[in-house]
Amino acid sequence: MNGPFPSLVLDRVGMVFPAASGSARTVLDGVDLSLHAGQCLALVGRSGSGKTTLLHLAAGIAVPTSGRVLIDGEDLGGMTENARTRLRRDRIGIVFQFFHLLPHLNVAENVALPGWIDGRPGGGLEKRVGELLDRVGLADRSRDPVGRLSGGEMQRVALCRALLNKPSLLLADEPTGSLDDRTGQVILDLLLEMAEAERCALLLVTHSLTVAARAERIFELHDGRLRQDPGVPS
Amino acid sequence: MIRVLGHGLLGLVREGRTLLLLTVVGVSLGVGSVVAIQTLNQGALQAFGGSVRAVSGQADLTVLGTVPTIDPALLPRVLADPAVRDAWPLCRLDAALADGSGDLIQIVGFDVFAPVRYPLTRQLDETGSAADPGDLVAAAMAVPGWCAVTPHLAASHGWAVGDTVPVSSGSRLARLVIGALVDFQRYEPLAPVNIAVMDVAQAQALLARPDAIHQIDIVLAGDEDPGTAAARLQRNLGPGVRVLTPEQRAEDAAGLLAAFRLNLTALSLISVFVGLFLVLASVQASLVRRRREFGVLRVLGMQPRQVLVLILAEAGVLGLLGVAIGIPTGFRIALWNVETVSATLTSIYVLEEISRLVLTPTVIIIGTAVGLGGALCGAVLPALDMSRRGVVELLSPLTMHEGARRTAVPLALLAVAAMTAGLLWFVAAGGGNRYAGFILGFVMLIGLPLLVPGVIRAAGAPLRPRGLGWVLSLRNLTIRLRTSSFAVAALAVTISMMVGITLLVGSFRQTLVTWLDVTIRADVYVSTESWIRAGNEAFLDAELLTALGGRPDVQAVETQRRLRVSTADGRHRVWLSGIAFSAVPGVTLASRLPLYAGDPEAVAGRLLASEAVVIGEPLARKAGLGPGDDLVLAGPDGPVSLPIAGVAFDYTSEAGTAFTTLETFGRHFRSDQPNNAALFLQPGADPDAVVAELQRTHRGRPLVFRSNATLRREVLAIFDQTFAVTRTLQTMALFIAACGLALAQLIQVRERAGELALFRALGATRAQISRMFLGEGLAMAGLGLALGLGGGAGLAALLILVINREWFGWTIRPDVPLGALALEVAVILGAALAAGIYPAWKSGLSSPAQLSRDDL
Ligand SMILES: Nc1ncnc2c1ncn2[C@@H]1O[C@H](COP(=O)(O)OP(=O)(O)OP(=O)(O)O)[C@@H](O)[C@H]1O
Ligand SMILES: [Mg+2]
Repeated sequence: MNGPFPSLVLDRVGMVFPAASGSARTVLDGVDLSLHAGQCLALVGRSGSGKTTLLHLAAGIAVPTSGRVLIDGEDLGGMTENARTRLRRDRIGIVFQFFHLLPHLNVAENVALPGWIDGRPGGGLEKRVGELLDRVGLADRSRDPVGRLSGGEMQRVALCRALLNKPSLLLADEPTGSLDDRTGQVILDLLLEMAEAERCALLLVTHSLTVAARAERIFELHDGRLRQDPGVPS
Repeated sequence: MIRVLGHGLLGLVREGRTLLLLTVVGVSLGVGSVVAIQTLNQGALQAFGGSVRAVSGQADLTVLGTVPTIDPALLPRVLADPAVRDAWPLCRLDAALADGSGDLIQIVGFDVFAPVRYPLTRQLDETGSAADPGDLVAAAMAVPGWCAVTPHLAASHGWAVGDTVPVSSGSRLARLVIGALVDFQRYEPLAPVNIAVMDVAQAQALLARPDAIHQIDIVLAGDEDPGTAAARLQRNLGPGVRVLTPEQRAEDAAGLLAAFRLNLTALSLISVFVGLFLVLASVQASLVRRRREFGVLRVLGMQPRQVLVLILAEAGVLGLLGVAIGIPTGFRIALWNVETVSATLTSIYVLEEISRLVLTPTVIIIGTAVGLGGALCGAVLPALDMSRRGVVELLSPLTMHEGARRTAVPLALLAVAAMTAGLLWFVAAGGGNRYAGFILGFVMLIGLPLLVPGVIRAAGAPLRPRGLGWVLSLRNLTIRLRTSSFAVAALAVTISMMVGITLLVGSFRQTLVTWLDVTIRADVYVSTESWIRAGNEAFLDAELLTALGGRPDVQAVETQRRLRVSTADGRHRVWLSGIAFSAVPGVTLASRLPLYAGDPEAVAGRLLASEAVVIGEPLARKAGLGPGDDLVLAGPDGPVSLPIAGVAFDYTSEAGTAFTTLETFGRHFRSDQPNNAALFLQPGADPDAVVAELQRTHRGRPLVFRSNATLRREVLAIFDQTFAVTRTLQTMALFIAACGLALAQLIQVRERAGELALFRALGATRAQISRMFLGEGLAMAGLGLALGLGGGAGLAALLILVINREWFGWTIRPDVPLGALALEVAVILGAALAAGIYPAWKSGLSSPAQLSRDDL
């Protein structure tokens, strides 16, 4: 996972959505980006500027209309949908704004979910789950139903889930967006710390410049293009 | 309001075409099965009524023989009654066409001078402007074999006026001449097509016996009340005849078919019950999805009552769509099944064959009520639930399944309590009630679905998933308990019905086979082509019997005379057989008596030594008779009382049977000419070779020779035919249940869109998601199967031990037809899998991109 290649490369990536009127809507227009293991990059931009779209492209959830996306040097463009899905399962972790935990599974089961999808046998999986929960301070809650957790706790569980398969790229779409400031801070600290510890690259989408400021680099999406270090408060 | 309703319906169509389609299909199949069965039931009765009206259209009363011929001396006595304006005799018999087809026609011999123009003869008068009616009457009398048939019958056999048609009655052959084509159905649309009308004297001379009268039709004078006149005539004419009004004759036929009809009706109602779950599930799902819409409507000022009406109106439209498709479908299904039902009616109940089915207004009303009522019933609970919720509750993302989870245990307890109470009631008080078995069955079928949520929870809750395997599938069922409960409940009820019937039919068949082993012991059976329906007049001639007895390879000939008589009180019809038993080494009479009560040796001894009769089990149960009692029959000269020596298992007729020696029979019923013969061959003779040789020797004669094996095969074929409609009903119910499964899974795909998107985002492939869904479908099928097998065993016990005994009078030995059950389980699992394919495919389509927008 820490080979010679960057974890994520966007190479002149363009994304055009067909609009209802029949005309097309260009959301991304020649975006270049390179992100290495251990690096943290923040992406800011107005609502509707295409941040989530970019994240989807990086995760192989969508394919760009032009340009290339490479994960650990592998071009997603040449891959089948199934291959992209498997690559997402093995190399990419995602943290969502709304946590997206399954309410009918308990904490440990939610974390173990990517392992189940992977078809991994129980012993090693349980150990890894315990380890991650321990690191986020939820070891004693592992049998609790997730419905009883607070928002911050839920996001910690989601973070563990994203890291379960030891991804080389961690994508976070407004991970603090539905948390209060203090909790958001704590989650952000954990996110950065864990990404560092797991040696994975982190792409962080956020509205907040204070959050963005914690990253090594900040990019702003504007009119479909990336601008480094906007430096202006939005 | 109307606009909101229209909008809502459009919305339903737009967002869930498949869902809507499945619901409508479910409702329409439920309606269809009811319509099909009611159409067939009515068809059977109408065929009988049609034939009564065609022959006796203008008669106020009919005198029928109990033997069933009538002493001709009674006719003057009928005419002497002051209330009788006119009366005329009829000679009725069934003849077989001797053209190799073996098709049967009904011969009606009537008095061409009868003063009344009932449908048959009225049409005769009007036929052919060329011929003067007087000429026709003259021809009917003068031309030997002259008869009038319907154009339909003539066309189907390629006959033209003037053709000669050979027919047989028993071993007698006669030639009929097609004298006129008469469309009887113009006056009586339900008149049998296979009817041939001729002069009564000719019919007697050619096909029956001189003076053989089977019926006297009566027209009353002026304003005499038919009931009073009938009672007086009955007194005057004595117990050898029955004097009936047309209504009484129709009731007779209805009574004869009561058990058969009731069973089919009950089965078809199970389909409706299963269809109800579909409506419930789909209304529920659409309401869960649209709760925000209702919340907004409420915010905008809509009253709770209006919400209720709106939802019910939508369900009503669904129901009407189901009705619109279901009624024609049901009629179609009735048409497909008419042949087998008709065959059952003619071979088992000796009624008219159904020549035409009509969709009557009554059936349409029943079908509409069932479809519309079912849809409204299915919708009313979720609708009430929805209309009672507060605005805030509607607008907040609550999960409706929480409620189901909480009520699962109480519901299951309620079910257990209801079933226990039902059982206790049945044990304590059920004996006195004919319908007790049906009521208990109904309670069980209501209880079973109530158990379902509890069972699903119990199956899924204690398990901890460790991967995407079946444990997770089972767990997932418990999450959306409402949806999965509906599907599993529908399946469980359907499987109960299927398994119950399969166990019944399997046990019955096995019992029948065992019974045939005991009773069918001769090597070759001889009867005539017309015998099936015309037992009374279809005799074997004496020369034939002598010839058969003289064959070197024949060890013994046993002859049988069979007659339909009634008990002296007129309450029971009995097929009475007189048998000339022969002593064949190794095949004693005692060894051939499948006795239910009595010692075979003693019973056989009494039967041979003195006047006694053995009665069949159905008659014993229905008439409450047993060994030591007397069977009192209506004989030609008054009551005939025969001591009952024993009760035998008997599966030939639910109407009742009895047998005695041919000698005793002849003494009381005047005739000992046999209808059938059974040959016991010399040891070493090959029955098939003998049958082949007999067929060669008697080529051209209307005789039927069957080997032991052939006869058994034919008996079992008739048995299987009787249950053919049941198979159709089972298939329809399975279809509905499969729709229910597909429906539940589609609802799940929709309600779990977020969850599926999450799986995809975490790297689950489409195939993995589809497999998970198929697994859930199979888990539902498995639970439905487990519950259904239990319910089916209970239902079978009820059908075999209670309902069949009570309604048909048969003892059936329970037997588990493993092969048939295994096949059924395979079919059910196959159907479940097939039902899951589309939803599984659909589930794989969910896009992980959705996650960033929706919540779970
Ligand atoms: N599948 C799609 N089809 C058409 N247009 C789309 C699609 N997905 C996104 N868009 C459009 O692309 C633009 C960018 O959307 P995106 O969700 O990436 O914005 P965002 O930057 O994440 O905004 P926010 O901060 O509000 O989450 C929006 O205008 C959206 O309407
Ligand atoms: Mg976004």
